[in-house]
Amino acid sequence: MNKMLYLKLAITNIKANGKTYFPYVITCICTIMMFYIMHALSVNKGLEGVSGSESLKTILYFGTIVIGIFSAIFLFYINSFLIKRRKKEIGLYNILGLGKKHIAIVLLYENVFISLFSLVIGLIGGVILNKLMFLVLLKILDFAVPFGFAVSIPSMKITLIVFIGIFTVTLISNLFQIHLAKPIELLKGGEHGEKEPKTKWLMTIMGIITLGTGYTMALTVKSPLSALNLFFVAVILVMVGTYCLFTAGSIAILKLLRKNKKFYYKTRNFTSVSGMLYRMKQNAAGLANICILSTAVLVMISTTVSLYIGMEDGLKARFPRNVTINASGISENQTKKLNEIIELETKETKINNKVNYASEGFIASRVDDTFLLKKAKDAFSSDSYFLVTIPLSDYNRLEGKNVTLQDDELLIFSTVKNYGKNIITIQDKSFKVKEELASIVIMNKNALDIVGTYILVLKDVEAVRNINAAVPGTISVPLYRVDFDMEGTDKEILSFTDKLNQDFSKEILSPVSIGSAAGSKESFFAVYGGLFFLGIFLGALFLMATVLIIYYKQISEGYDDKERFNIMQKVGMSKAEIKKSINRQILMVFFLPLVFAVIHIAFAFPMIAKLLATLNLINVPLLRMCTVVTILVFAVIYAVVYFLTARVYLKIVD
Amino acid sequence: MRLLEVNNLKKIYTTRFGGNQVQALSSVSFSIEKGEYVAIMGESGSGKTTLLNILAALDKPTSGEVLLNGKNIVFIKESEISAFRRDNLGFVFQDFNLLDTFSVRDNIFLPLVLSGKSYHEMESRLNPITEKLEISDILDKFPYEVSGGQKQRAAVARALIAKPQLILADEPTGALDSKATDHLLKLFSEIHKEGQTILLVTHSTKAASHAGRVLFIKDGEVFHQLYRGSMTNEEMFEKISNTLTVLATGGAHLE
Repeated sequence: MNKMLYLKLAITNIKANGKTYFPYVITCICTIMMFYIMHALSVNKGLEGVSGSESLKTILYFGTIVIGIFSAIFLFYINSFLIKRRKKEIGLYNILGLGKKHIAIVLLYENVFISLFSLVIGLIGGVILNKLMFLVLLKILDFAVPFGFAVSIPSMKITLIVFIGIFTVTLISNLFQIHLAKPIELLKGGEHGEKEPKTKWLMTIMGIITLGTGYTMALTVKSPLSALNLFFVAVILVMVGTYCLFTAGSIAILKLLRKNKKFYYKTRNFTSVSGMLYRMKQNAAGLANICILSTAVLVMISTTVSLYIGMEDGLKARFPRNVTINASGISENQTKKLNEIIELETKETKINNKVNYASEGFIASRVDDTFLLKKAKDAFSSDSYFLVTIPLSDYNRLEGKNVTLQDDELLIFSTVKNYGKNIITIQDKSFKVKEELASIVIMNKNALDIVGTYILVLKDVEAVRNINAAVPGTISVPLYRVDFDMEGTDKEILSFTDKLNQDFSKEILSPVSIGSAAGSKESFFAVYGGLFFLGIFLGALFLMATVLIIYYKQISEGYDDKERFNIMQKVGMSKAEIKKSINRQILMVFFLPLVFAVIHIAFAFPMIAKLLATLNLINVPLLRMCTVVTILVFAVIYAVVYFLTARVYLKIVD
Repeated sequence: MRLLEVNNLKKIYTTRFGGNQVQALSSVSFSIEKGEYVAIMGESGSGKTTLLNILAALDKPTSGEVLLNGKNIVFIKESEISAFRRDNLGFVFQDFNLLDTFSVRDNIFLPLVLSGKSYHEMESRLNPITEKLEISDILDKFPYEVSGGQKQRAAVARALIAKPQLILADEPTGALDSKATDHLLKLFSEIHKEGQTILLVTHSTKAASHAGRVLFIKDGEVFHQLYRGSMTNEEMFEKISNTLTVLATGGAHLE
């Protein structure tokens, strides 16, 4: 047979199936573009040489992998939908005398045509948009803009490899399906009778249990550290729960409704309940996908946006004063020397709010009013508390007070929940709490601290040190700390801290670390900006996926409903009634995932807030606002997409 | 008593771009008495389906009137048409038109649920009908689980349960095997004996031979009609066959 015929057939087929193929091609182009851009950014030399660029690159590289995996799953999913719709057409070819081999050739041509087209347009678009995205990223990161226009050859190569791979696999799966099917089956396509779904109680119960457990975890998580440990477990539980409840739970509920004869045999419920049963069977997995994708979009965007906006807060939390000097385990002489150097160096610059004090930290677990010191190897578990002792003399000096304490008395300050007891027992030694301090100069109250800290002001700090020394395997962190606010630009502060650093390394043997908000800003920007960029980027990708799934669902629903629509009309349902009933069902079906996504987020909120605390975001109202705004924007987009696709749907049905 | 009266029904379809006009019905007039069993025969394209669609109020005629119990259904408001159809007409189609999403029972209940009857009443109406139609044991099955004959009997039950004035059957035996066809036609005769008015549209001679009267449509007009009188089904069958032969070979007028 003529080769041109195949080509012609292939092109005609794509044109004829434009309504379904057009969005597919667009998706291919978009995913290719996004993959190329993300990879090109992750290998862009322009991002090097800044502090934090390594973590930024890791973030971007991670993004590339996510996009790659996601594209594969997603394109495969859409493709399977497309081929299902086309079975009838292919069956007809088969019956009209086109052998399976010939059909395979036509499919091959189609696939090559679409792949080539998508790859060419996608890569061109990627190269152009890459520059734009690079500028956007630099703007987000607050980096200086280098000049030049680069085409990343390695990125092109890897994009080609990944996507040609994906296209080949989809083609093979299509050919395989066609090969297996008998012509008569192909011709009947999706028509064979839909069996009524069975009630799967086990799965329903499992769904309720997993979802409930996930929610409970999120709600009851106490410390950021345990949030970190439990987050992925909770996410997986909720995902499993979502799938179970969408697939089995929905059907169980609908069947229960159907059992209630008084309810079921009412005009408005009759068609809706049975229609929903039928719809849920076909769409449950797709809807669960939409739900999970939506949740992912919402979480990703709201957290990365609030991290980025709250970056200043994060810096503030890390650096209560903009310069901080920590010296661990230095002698008295060295302390003196350290203070002299600081004194000398700060003569010409203006500094405020200076505090300097000695402290010693211990790690313990708390039971009621008893603290048991922990061994070094168990230090970082979720029940750990940090006990920090400060000499009374330092406290009085810093606060400008004149408190006196007995040997067995102390003042306590908690960074987390108030301590609220009169006695504190460390190991077996008890102290009376003379006063619980509401505030303390050197530290802020921070309910979301990763590890709860209790500051103990003692007349004699030796007492606790001795208790600790008596327990084998424990650790103590002696620290001399000087914090102050320095005026000046970031540059001035940086050169100042550099100078100090040199002085210290000359004069003092013990390690002294100098941190400043200015110095950390770059790496903060690199990490949070990178996350922000990735969040928006992946958010857009997931949103596109959601939109497409909705679109394809609407179309397939439309074709399925057309027949039902006709029959109902003949049996005596008016057009208006049918439209109302169908609208109600579709509305429910399509907004169910959104509603569930919002519920998921609502439950996950406490956990997310605690998680972000480990990234120095402690501004919960900000996070809440970002989340609400993200949800609103998303809901609007979702609704717009719904109404646009609903029009396509109505056109098909009418 | 006259149940249905059709006067000078005319239907002209205009193609989409307004060019060609196709006359589906040129002038159809006939009437049906209460309790009659009438078959309408005609070849494909003779206007049978158009006529049925107009009788079912699914389509509007270009001119003419359709009186059901003296009321002209052509002028029923769009908003009331569905309710009218539900309460007065029962339909049986060639391809059954059962909804796959409903069990057989729920398919039968559909018209009653739509007119807002109580569940109690539905139940009480269901039993006698399903027993007569011998489908009591498949009520909880779904349409794709039962045979064609059973599907069609379920569709008949659905048509009967609303106690319609008139049953409109469009090629009800078209998709059935001969055994199921015989069964269904026997049931139609029984239902008719109980007083139900039936209008059957078909081009199966066998199906038409069970009717009390047969109308022949050709080129959009009632061309001829045949009364059973005291004929048996077999005699009727022969008569119809002969008529069809004459019709097909282009006989200008009969008898």
